Amino acid sequence: MSKTMTGAQMVIDILVKQGVTDVFGYPGGAIMPIYDALYGAPLKHYLTRHEQGAGFAAVGYARSTGKLGVCFATSGPGATNLVTSLADAMMDSVPLLAITGQVPTAAIGSDAFQEVDVLGMSLSCTKHSFMVERVEDLAEVLQQAMHLATSGRPGPVLVDIPKDIQQGQVPYTPWLADAQECDSTSMQELKAANTLLKNAKRPIAYVGGGVQSADAQDELMAFLARTQMPAVSTLKALGSVLPEYEYELGMLGMHGTKAANLAVQECDLLVCIGARFDDRVTGNLAKFAAKAQVLHLDIDAAEVGKRKPAAASLIADLKMSLPQLEGSLTTEEWREHVSQMKRDYAWRYDYPGEKVFAPYLLNKLSRDMPKQTVVCCDVGQHQMWVAQHMKFDHPSNHLSSGGAGTMGFGLPAAIGAQIARPQDTVITVSGDGSIMMNIQELATIRRNNLPVKIVILDNQRLGMVRQWQELFFAGRYSETNLSDNPDFVQLAAVFGIPGQTITHASEVDEAIDNLVSSEGPYILHACIDDKENVWPLVPPGAANDEMITENTQ
Amino acid sequence: MKHQLTVAVKNQSVAVERFLRVARHRGFRLMQLQLEGQDELFHVKMTVDSDKPIYLLTSQLNKLVDVHSVDLHTLQQQAI
Ligand SMILES: Cc1ncc(C[n+]2csc(CCOP(=O)(O)OP(=O)(O)O)c2C)c(N)n1
Ligand SMILES: [Mg+2]
Repeated sequence: MSKTMTGAQMVIDILVKQGVTDVFGYPGGAIMPIYDALYGAPLKHYLTRHEQGAGFAAVGYARSTGKLGVCFATSGPGATNLVTSLADAMMDSVPLLAITGQVPTAAIGSDAFQEVDVLGMSLSCTKHSFMVERVEDLAEVLQQAMHLATSGRPGPVLVDIPKDIQQGQVPYTPWLADAQECDSTSMQELKAANTLLKNAKRPIAYVGGGVQSADAQDELMAFLARTQMPAVSTLKALGSVLPEYEYELGMLGMHGTKAANLAVQECDLLVCIGARFDDRVTGNLAKFAAKAQVLHLDIDAAEVGKRKPAAASLIADLKMSLPQLEGSLTTEEWREHVSQMKRDYAWRYDYPGEKVFAPYLLNKLSRDMPKQTVVCCDVGQHQMWVAQHMKFDHPSNHLSSGGAGTMGFGLPAAIGAQIARPQDTVITVSGDGSIMMNIQELATIRRNNLPVKIVILDNQRLGMVRQWQELFFAGRYSETNLSDNPDFVQLAAVFGIPGQTITHASEVDEAIDNLVSSEGPYILHACIDDKENVWPLVPPGAANDEMITENTQ
Repeated sequence: MKHQLTVAVKNQSVAVERFLRVARHRGFRLMQLQLEGQDELFHVKMTVDSDKPIYLLTSQLNKLVDVHSVDLHTLQQQAI
């Protein structure tokens, strides 16, 4: 057969044949042939109102399902607008494919209109990136890009396609199925690992985002059931350890629970399961779990020993390595000690004031929302309160910008999650600062009639920065006052989204009910005390057992 | 401490850019660089200097899609 198609048609064809059903993007000159090929194609495109929104919607789509997220942008400013979402996906190991249009090959290097060296720009914020140089290479590049984004340690992959290549003719070749890569498991250290486990008196499982990437929640829970080992989670792992697990201690790190941080400081074996010793987790690294040996499980060899030396490591897919660990039952003494801490330092929600208490509101929301709700959040105090006071039974139900901490993540991520999981409730919890960073995406909610629920915890401040100014910068509140915020309910109303404002503790329960039971989108604007802080807090440079607390824990 | 490495990468300029970026970003100063193209691959000999252990660089380089192999020669061995 001598059938031919254009490069642009091939892009769409390959995406469809690879099972991609939804893409997010924004058109422009250099990507017009691809948008033309999209016209009428069996692939649903969601137009966001900013390329960063498209990138984050694709991230939300990917994180809420484990599938590949796909986004499109044009050359130059379109591609630069995508960069923040690529960096976010890089830090949080999210499988993302970004396709950008580029000026025609002949114009590259001439400072052409809307020309940016996107390949150069992508080097520091992608797992890998390509610029397609010949239309004949396009199919292979796309196949490789999709494979790289989703295999091993997942991450963002960018494919930059000059306009002439999108317009070039290629012979139609039937699509080759993706070759399944064999896991190159190196299990030589299995014996050493099992010896460490056998000899440990006070082991702890330190669970990270790798469990979700490996789809290994069942294997993790089986390991915990065998060993009855206490478990702490990173921000990204929340939901991986089921909340009903008796020795689940919650999040560790800067705003971690007291029980989690103290237990880690006391442990003699830290079983690191797909985590990377981020500085927000470890506090002062030299004093982090100082009495412990490390057993490190990760698919990425470069994580082992990067921040803390490991006594043994298993470089493999967690789905394969976890079942091979022969953990014996953890001593009763250690379990009892940890349980006691868990009881002693449990969160308290009996707040004396009349104002809305954010931890109570979030805990109530957590109890009242349907099972399998996806909760997204932005970055700041509200994000930490979500992590502390809401419970999740799968990491794909808690989407939080972890490694990058990107304000503006929440609303577009919720859009992506709602599109990926139309049957499930999707709630985004944002701050009065963060919500404004991608507020234009309310238009995307309206256009697609998405029932996304929005909670704004409004302290009229860049609260997390204000908290640091209070504690570490002598109360010099430089540029953190947002008391001239717009009326958020009125703002949402312009986009056809109903909602309400609450200011008193007594209004919380009913407002949560209104939010959860609304059919369509809804905005709950909760005014909270501007002086409220997130506790506990491990100050910069301190060890994790030197946390400052208030009476909330 | 100085280390000498030979890195075989895909013979594309971007592959070289990518691994040089990694070396700089991970805290390894470039002291010497020599590049030779052969068939499909560039063979890049380089000397880097850092207070950090060299495996922190080699493990990151090994992850790069375009890097085929990383060989480490200590400078002492070179002197022999
Ligand atoms: C894109 C981006 N810019 C700046 C910051 C630094 N930052 C971290 S938290 C924060 C304040 C966020 O304010 P808000 O969304 O109102 O949340 P709050 O802390 O008040 O709950 C800022 C400015 C960031 N994380 N991301
Ligand atoms: Mg705020």
